[in-house]
Amino acid sequence: MEKPGKDGGHCSGAECHGGPGSICDCEGTLDNPAKGLLSILRKLKSTPDQEVRILLLGLDNAGKTTLLKQLASEDISHITPTQGFNIKSVQSQGFKLNVWDIGGQRKIRPYWRNYFENTDILIYVIDSADRKRFEETGQELAELLDEEKLSGVPVLIFANKQDLLTAAPASEIAEGLNLHTIRDRVWQIQSCSALSGEGVQDGMNWVCKNVSAKKK
Amino acid sequence: MVERPVDPKDYTFSGLKDETVGRLPGKVAGQQFIIQDCENCSIYIFDHSATITIDDCVNCQIFLGPIKGSVFFRDCKDCKCIVACQQFRTRDCRKLEVFLCCATQPIIESSTGMKFGCFQYYYPELALQFKDAGLSIFNNTWSDIHDFTPVSGENNWGLLPEDAVVQDYVPLPSSEELKAVRISTDATRSIIPITRGRRQKSSDESCLVVFFAGDYTTANARKLIDEMTGKGFQLVQTKEVSMKAEEAHRVFQQHAPEFIPLLEEGPVVALEFNGDGAVEGCQSTINDVFSGTKVFVSESKASASQDVENFYNFADMQMGM
Repeated sequence: MEKPGKDGGHCSGAECHGGPGSICDCEGTLDNPAKGLLSILRKLKSTPDQEVRILLLGLDNAGKTTLLKQLASEDISHITPTQGFNIKSVQSQGFKLNVWDIGGQRKIRPYWRNYFENTDILIYVIDSADRKRFEETGQELAELLDEEKLSGVPVLIFANKQDLLTAAPASEIAEGLNLHTIRDRVWQIQSCSALSGEGVQDGMNWVCKNVSAKKK
Repeated sequence: MVERPVDPKDYTFSGLKDETVGRLPGKVAGQQFIIQDCENCSIYIFDHSATITIDDCVNCQIFLGPIKGSVFFRDCKDCKCIVACQQFRTRDCRKLEVFLCCATQPIIESSTGMKFGCFQYYYPELALQFKDAGLSIFNNTWSDIHDFTPVSGENNWGLLPEDAVVQDYVPLPSSEELKAVRISTDATRSIIPITRGRRQKSSDESCLVVFFAGDYTTANARKLIDEMTGKGFQLVQTKEVSMKAEEAHRVFQQHAPEFIPLLEEGPVVALEFNGDGAVEGCQSTINDVFSGTKVFVSESKASASQDVENFYNFADMQMGM
């Protein structure tokens, strides 16, 4: 199909206003279809994957770093308690996920707020088998959901360590945490074992689906 | 065959006072274990487990067999422990004394009066339990603790005396059932080689020895440790870690081509010895005992300290996260 060139005239490659070798902003013509294909290919190649900023929080010993290593398909048999933070970039479903795993000791939770800005998704990890600390983790999550800088950010709660004997099911955790009262953002709870990988992909599927679901 | 459901109560010690309790080899078999609200108790877990939490315990003596994941002490006081784990964590504890084997850097938070020594224990089933827990007997960073709440001018933690007698801290079990476990607390019999870690070194001469993966690697490493300690040298640190060709060049330098093909077989086991004449001692022992085996040994006192540094630089980076 003929399309007008830059100067309104008919464009056919060599006659293009910019001269041979220049980038033509018309889409090619019947007698020069390759030029059109080339510009389409150029557009596809230069579009980068959408970058997504994910914040990985939770109490110390929740399994955040194990989850991070699992997402990156790395060895999970030798993991040190996180003293500062870890970051990994993971390609998933057309997205580039930049995951920030922040240490969860009580003493360093005040530093969590340094990482809130521009978060697209919050992933909150819970040790489902540490019943003694359910109240504490519920408290920390509630405070996070009250934070101005995390307002409207979709939250995925991983009920982790489902491989352990005393692990509470996700439904029990959801109830204990009153997740049903969350109204100001989209949320999801997902059972998983970061160690075995079970449930992790399901959680990440939800993440990718809700990347643009940040409520203003 | 119908699977019997597992009862969490069988994997919990809760609210006990003045008792001696435990689990024999095979009775935990990699499950999670919970210990809470115990006072004046002697507790022995003679098996491998997934993870263990110890809450609100006072004046207890505790043995915890190899833990695949983390051990977490919370709100405990005046306890003496022997523990092997991948991660060691405490919060709000006071006066814990721990003979520790930990694969990663131990951490403490809001805890004080904490003392650490090297894990020292043997019973016949223990070696296999370490394997089942995925823990290498050569990866033990027991002496470098990270404190999340340091206090200026004070130390929340320190090392146990070198001559600390394990049974003075955690006695042998007194119950008939647990006596069946054939325990030895002799340093030379310990499943975990006793290392000095961050303890002061007696000499400025070190020696690095590296064994390569094979059927006899562990046995060979242990044999060399026995020979060298028998001669009065000290074992500072051990490490079992996979090495890549690039790393081999940095550590083995001109000898790298000889050792690179062996790296594919599996992880290497590195030993650092210390003492005047350590290099000569290692070389002669290896010539006498391991003439057929491919081993890397430091060439001289001068090169040895560089060998050790080169090795730890790469090993620490690899095992960092």
